[in-house]
Amino acid sequence: MLKNYFKIAIAVLKRRKFFTFISLFGISFTLIILIIIAAFFDHLFSAGYPDNKRESSLYIDRIILQNEKDWNITSPPSFYFLDHFVSRLSTPSKIAISSNFKSTNIYIKNKKLPITYKYTNDQYWEVLEYEFLEGKSYNKQQIDNGERVAVISEDARNKYFGTGDQVTGKYIEVENRQYRVIGVVKDVPTSLPHVYAEIYLPYTDAKTNAADKSLTGNFNAILLTDSKNDVKKMKEEYQQMASKIPLPGKDYDRMYTFADSYLVGYIRSIFGQGKDSGLGTFYATISIFLFLFLLLPTINLVNINISRIMERSSEIGVRKAFGASSHTLVLQFIVENIILTFLGGAIGIAISILLINIFNNSEILPNAQLSINGTVLFYTILACLVFGTLSGVYPAWRMSRMMVVNALKAS
Amino acid sequence: MLTHLFRLIWNKKKQNFLLILEIFIAFIGLCAGFTFILYPYNNYKLPLGFEPQNVWVVNFDRPDEIKNLDSLQIFNESIKSVLFSLNGVEDVTYSSINFPLSGNGFNTAVRINGQESWAYFYSAEDNYIKVLGMKMQEGRWFSSDDKVANVRPAVINQTLKKKLFGSGDALGKIVEADAVGDKMKIVGVVADTKDESEMEVPGPGIFMRRDTIDLRHDYSILVKVKPGADPALESRMYKTLSNSMKNAEIEIEHLTDMKDAANKKMQVPFIIFIIIAGFLIINVGLGIFGVLWYNINKRKGEIGLRRAVGATGNAISKQLVGEALVLCTLSLILGLFFAVQFPLLSALQLPPENYVQAIILSVVFIYVLVLLCALYPGKEAARIYPAIALHED
Repeated sequence: MLKNYFKIAIAVLKRRKFFTFISLFGISFTLIILIIIAAFFDHLFSAGYPDNKRESSLYIDRIILQNEKDWNITSPPSFYFLDHFVSRLSTPSKIAISSNFKSTNIYIKNKKLPITYKYTNDQYWEVLEYEFLEGKSYNKQQIDNGERVAVISEDARNKYFGTGDQVTGKYIEVENRQYRVIGVVKDVPTSLPHVYAEIYLPYTDAKTNAADKSLTGNFNAILLTDSKNDVKKMKEEYQQMASKIPLPGKDYDRMYTFADSYLVGYIRSIFGQGKDSGLGTFYATISIFLFLFLLLPTINLVNINISRIMERSSEIGVRKAFGASSHTLVLQFIVENIILTFLGGAIGIAISILLINIFNNSEILPNAQLSINGTVLFYTILACLVFGTLSGVYPAWRMSRMMVVNALKAS
Repeated sequence: MLTHLFRLIWNKKKQNFLLILEIFIAFIGLCAGFTFILYPYNNYKLPLGFEPQNVWVVNFDRPDEIKNLDSLQIFNESIKSVLFSLNGVEDVTYSSINFPLSGNGFNTAVRINGQESWAYFYSAEDNYIKVLGMKMQEGRWFSSDDKVANVRPAVINQTLKKKLFGSGDALGKIVEADAVGDKMKIVGVVADTKDESEMEVPGPGIFMRRDTIDLRHDYSILVKVKPGADPALESRMYKTLSNSMKNAEIEIEHLTDMKDAANKKMQVPFIIFIIIAGFLIINVGLGIFGVLWYNINKRKGEIGLRRAVGATGNAISKQLVGEALVLCTLSLILGLFFAVQFPLLSALQLPPENYVQAIILSVVFIYVLVLLCALYPGKEAARIYPAIALHED
């Protein structure tokens, strides 16, 4: 049966090439946009180099101090806060603490090199799985000894020392201090701001943390557990710990801080308000956008489909005259339409792969590697099904109500 | 003629309904899109209000060890003279960290006789206006005479003047600002500056003369360099500064680079939007084209008959294009009803002329699109020979 439908569908597609082109163009273009958005979201929110363990990690990147009159300060936590309170938690097996990256300029031979750097603790290198091209990271002992050592990115090495050189043991000057390079890591894209930097330095050298006991500062932390099942427990423990921290000064009535999964943390930074993470707002915004975006292509497809169906009125009339039920005809047409959609989907995926390749090789977002993986593909196929059904139902219904006499007469 | 076309469409309202719906949604989408693009574009055409060329920004942490504000002031003066001693530096001024394009902003409420407005709040030195190349509209900027003034002087920008005084006079008026807590006398009105990017509408602003007390907050140094300054000067500046302030993290940026970065950040969503909108329009265009073409093929008999009774090919094609345009007008009337609600209810708080421009552009765009899509099918129809068409039937 399906085979027959398939044959008919292909025959119909071949009949009016221009209409086929319009349908396929609409479907494939719509899917290209959806696939690229999905790939981008996947790049932002799924685990990936060097942050491979997102599912068993929680992220702390803000403290909100609120006053009753409803003004508030949102700031990253300080090193003191993370080191003094957070590191006492028992559920996390490891805690990566690092400063938000800062930019500075390095001047060599009258040339200016803009460069970014961040301070980290030793466990940072265990929580995050950086790929070392040469050398290794600094350990606790080196940090405690106050050694001036640095891990640099491939990009920083190429800019500062030139391509291809062995640089371990050489010195690099940051903020007027000489650091010995002990490792070179593969680049990280700027779209992952919590792990992005070109130079990584031990936190003991951060000039801002000296004996400062305020809760707000310029650091963030990643809490890692050994198993995914402990994440919930870790979150609860964090909230309990946070509720016991005394408020800094009389100006504030309330303090919020959160240990979030990466997605929730990211969305909180855009939509979050007070205690609310804004996840609901985010999903609502996305749904409205998708609905509006899909509306036009769908109506377009419905329009084209109706035209095509009316053209086949004689065929429909004959089938009805020979006893085919409306139900069968509707089903046939929807299947035909889904076949068409999947054809468009295949074209869309092919073009998307091409576009994503172009994007990955371009300098639009350096070092970012978008990809179409299983999840993205699954959603694409789902979108095809929904799209195909939606745009097929109304024309099929119109068709099935056609009177046999009229249908046969029209030709 | 027009009523006749209308009747033709009305007779087939069921078939035409979807086409009308499609044009209607495309129109609403276009209106939204044009509003979204025109707003920043109109702002882009407004003057920047200052000259970022040859202005460098020095950001640094103020030294922790100096607690006393007076000694900090002395330290700052020494940094200033160090900068002046560099060959190639024209002028140096201290500023609050919310100078134009800095990405920072402080708000305050400004009040006078029951009138109130929010405003960006800046603290600036006497040569700030010269370094940034801002233009005075009336009155004067701060000078060293203001040091002994009884009432603190303030300079406001055009937008704040309009908000507080309308077309009235602002000079000499006493205002209160929450951030200062003191009465201030307006001594001048300065041209607006765009603070965030070139695509933004300047907000109301009030400038206050820098005082020792401002040293409690963070601040930046703006340096005007001579034209043709090169990285060598920047490198020398960096070395000199780091020698004068040990342990400070220093960063030198160019205001022009900051402007480009801010513009780029604003442009990215627009480029993405235009690509998506462009393809949607092509999609809609092809769809309309397809449906019109199909309709004409279906009406071969009718067209053949008209030709047979004497209508010229031209008249036929005129009729078909006319029908498409009437159809389009119907959708647009429906669309306009919804579109005008936005300026009428002043939703989204955009200037009304913005909506009007967007709506006019959308109407023109849709007409052109439908006309283009109808021309070819109309021409095809004109070529129908009555004999063949009627024979087929």
